[in-house]
Amino acid sequence: MTNSVEELEDAACILIIGSNTTVAHPIIATRIFRAREKGAKIIVVDPRKTHIASYADLYLAEKSGTDVAVINGLLHIIIKEGWYDKEFVEKRTEGFAVLKTFIEEYTPARVSEITGIPEVQLRQAAEMFAKAKQSSIVYCMGITQHTVGVDNVLSLANLSMATGHIGKWASGVNPLRGQNNVQGSTDMAAIPNVLPGYQSLADDAVIAKFETAWGVTLPRKPGLTIMEMMDAIGTGGIRALYVMGENPMVSDPDIQHVKKALESLELLIVQDIFPTETVALAHVVLPGVTFAEKDGTFVSTDRRVQRIRKAIEPIGEARPDWQIICDVAHAMGAPDFDYASPSEVFDEIASLVPLFAGISYDRIAENGIQWPCRTKEAPSTVFMHKDTFSKGLGTFKPVAYKAPAELPDEEYPFILITGRDAFHYHTGSMTRRSKSLTGQINRCYVQIHPADAKKLRIKAGQLTRLRSRRGAIEVEARITPIVQSGSVFVPFHFAETAANVLTNPALDPVVKIPEFKICAVKLEKVA
Amino acid sequence: MIDYRTVYTICPFCGTGCGILLEVMNGRLEGVLPCKTNPVNQGKLCIKGWSAHEFVHSPDRLKKPLVRKDGRLEEVEWDEALSFIASRLKAITQAYGPDSFGAFSSAKCTTEENYLLQKFTRAVIGTNNIDHCARL
Amino acid sequence: MDRLREGIRDALTEGPVAGVMGLILDGGHPRPHLFTKGRIEDLDRLVVGEARYPLAAVLLKVLRNDLDAHLGIVARGCDERAILELVRNVQLNGERVVVFGVACSSEQASACQCPQPYPSSHLSGERVAPVSDSEGLDRLDRLSEEERLQYWMDQFGKCIKCYGCRNICPMCFCTTCTLDEDDLIQTGTIPPEKPIFHLIRAFHMAERCIDCGLCEAACPSGIPLRTLYKKMRNVVTTRFGFTPGITKEGKGPLQYLGDGKFGEQEGH
Repeated sequence: MTNSVEELEDAACILIIGSNTTVAHPIIATRIFRAREKGAKIIVVDPRKTHIASYADLYLAEKSGTDVAVINGLLHIIIKEGWYDKEFVEKRTEGFAVLKTFIEEYTPARVSEITGIPEVQLRQAAEMFAKAKQSSIVYCMGITQHTVGVDNVLSLANLSMATGHIGKWASGVNPLRGQNNVQGSTDMAAIPNVLPGYQSLADDAVIAKFETAWGVTLPRKPGLTIMEMMDAIGTGGIRALYVMGENPMVSDPDIQHVKKALESLELLIVQDIFPTETVALAHVVLPGVTFAEKDGTFVSTDRRVQRIRKAIEPIGEARPDWQIICDVAHAMGAPDFDYASPSEVFDEIASLVPLFAGISYDRIAENGIQWPCRTKEAPSTVFMHKDTFSKGLGTFKPVAYKAPAELPDEEYPFILITGRDAFHYHTGSMTRRSKSLTGQINRCYVQIHPADAKKLRIKAGQLTRLRSRRGAIEVEARITPIVQSGSVFVPFHFAETAANVLTNPALDPVVKIPEFKICAVKLEKVA
Repeated sequence: MIDYRTVYTICPFCGTGCGILLEVMNGRLEGVLPCKTNPVNQGKLCIKGWSAHEFVHSPDRLKKPLVRKDGRLEEVEWDEALSFIASRLKAITQAYGPDSFGAFSSAKCTTEENYLLQKFTRAVIGTNNIDHCARL
Repeated sequence: MDRLREGIRDALTEGPVAGVMGLILDGGHPRPHLFTKGRIEDLDRLVVGEARYPLAAVLLKVLRNDLDAHLGIVARGCDERAILELVRNVQLNGERVVVFGVACSSEQASACQCPQPYPSSHLSGERVAPVSDSEGLDRLDRLSEEERLQYWMDQFGKCIKCYGCRNICPMCFCTTCTLDEDDLIQTGTIPPEKPIFHLIRAFHMAERCIDCGLCEAACPSGIPLRTLYKKMRNVVTTRFGFTPGITKEGKGPLQYLGDGKFGEQEGH
């Protein structure tokens, strides 16, 4: 998030796109409800009429996968009407002229044709967003989990820069992070193309700094992403895999392919707290601990570094995960990796990562600090890009609408959208062992529009088979107008009827995110 | 005599970063209270946050290291599991090079743990093949 | 404050209580804590009024694990009202609970809109006048029935089914709950079935709600729950002359329902 969670309630207009906020980030929805109470206009763009959409001033029911067209359409209207922020565009950005020309062809008529959103609603949304004193964009996986995920994000950046709704209190672009520490994992470069703190593998000074600190020679060639590693296993490129607290056998697209890959490994090390579907395939299993049995930090969606604290002793012979990694390193004969506590690890991070340089356990004992925090005296960065963007001027990057990788056809006539349910979390390994949550729901379902259900003679509660080019699952039907006719929705938490048996492993070409939000399926009543 | 205390920590589910108080009674988690003074959630939680203690004491927890022997995962001591890993990893990376290794890190684990696993991958093995489920 | 601390120290070291439930200030955050003789130094960090937690409910939780324990509680007006009702509902044994009373300041009383910002006796603080806010309720009462229903349906529709209103409530002492029963209310959907989910809870609050406002403060969706329960509370007060947490003696009116003899028994 460029803003903080607290700021959202002061926004005068909030554009929620591809975020089922009350379900996936309920306590951020709190601020949206508060903003609404204070008179803010709420716009929701989503192919499903989500819970928060029923509290929106304007709900734009887009066709799946048409976000770029929607945003380009809004930009077209905003620029045509002169509602853009001329001063901001002039002082803080570059490439506006190119955008302006590019956006010409996204006329309301054409955009309405692509997206299914009436022209009048596009105009209303454009005016609401552009003219409000502070507007914020809130987005989530509905934007990113597409083969055009990066394009979607770029078009949102274009919208916020053109309207000057960034770099101010309650104004900015706010991706909601799905996991407690996905921000921290990324900050620490548990990603293949950078070093901790987004420092470049191509920068000699950076490499020298890390090589001195770690006493080794570092590899310069960027590594592989999860999806690329899966493919590399099949071809013998990767032979040993260390999986810490992940469950690709439920979370990754096209699970049958994942299973084949994992089974062909020469060594699969899995470190986890539960015997997950991935643990079942391991050669060696290391018992880690839960958040309640260790110290450390999580970095939340608004870049807030907060401490977690050990409340109980590890269960059985389980060990804190940080300690296990050190144990493995020692067993490999690595000389480094002697830490008395996570606090010492954090100090090493602060010494190597400028974004974290001013943060220490003492400073975040009470409340967290939001990075960037470059010195011991520097305060939290509450919102980013105040006077300048990290690279100076913000560059408009016009993007063209592209259709999703797999659209319905005669054989597979429905669009499948996957996502989260309100009562479970990710692959369910934790929440499906929680009685309050399984008491709410413990079975997978498929949301089907009433018109489609009628056509297929599927009744509520009936077992329904969904089949894609990759596999099939049988789940219970929920008949609801939340989904559009022609689309169905399945939550992905349930391993025994995993939605990811169906999903398409087509990737965004840049960041390699799979297209979880759209693939083609057919529906059959199970006799 | 009963020991009851609360421990201030952060919810382990989504990325919002809500402050929670874990209620600990005689060494066991007995409940969660929303932290009233955390600036993010200000005393509010969703149902997952309110239930964040429930999975911790699940009987399904892995309590000992396991190593596959004759096709079956069997409980072993830590030393055995660690030396098994070390010898296999060394053999594979010596035979096929460091890029034959890959690591999936975890958005559920701490910042420090993510730092350590990427340091292990880059500094001990010598590859940049590390990723986590940010995209999933 | 010193008198309070001394009172608790004496009770822990010399008196019969094995522990005292209160708030400890640690790392900038006040948290519920059981002060014990074994760690008497914790008392230096005892605070009152820095934040509100359902201390009576926490005390009950501890006592359920140790039925014979003799414990104390640092109680503001709201906490004492909760204790009174928990004893009346036979959840706590009043003889085993020692109340260390603290009167709230007028700022605290008005922040909480507290109907009785002091316990019956107190070791610390000055008694200030109750603050009664019926504005929200009056405004709703002026609406037509249809508008009022629309208002509440809109509010209930925001619910994300966190159960925070129930979980934080010092009076929700049941060990099983209607709101969890799939036979009665559909589980697994948000918003929960409306209006039934919230109305069932409102009815269950009729004879219990001590008007502490913790429910509303815990609601992520900003539903004015306290106003709803206040309505129930007013009905019970008007019809039966009984106000939970305020009426000191006798049973609650619902404990008589069925024999039609409320008002004729046990001093009513």
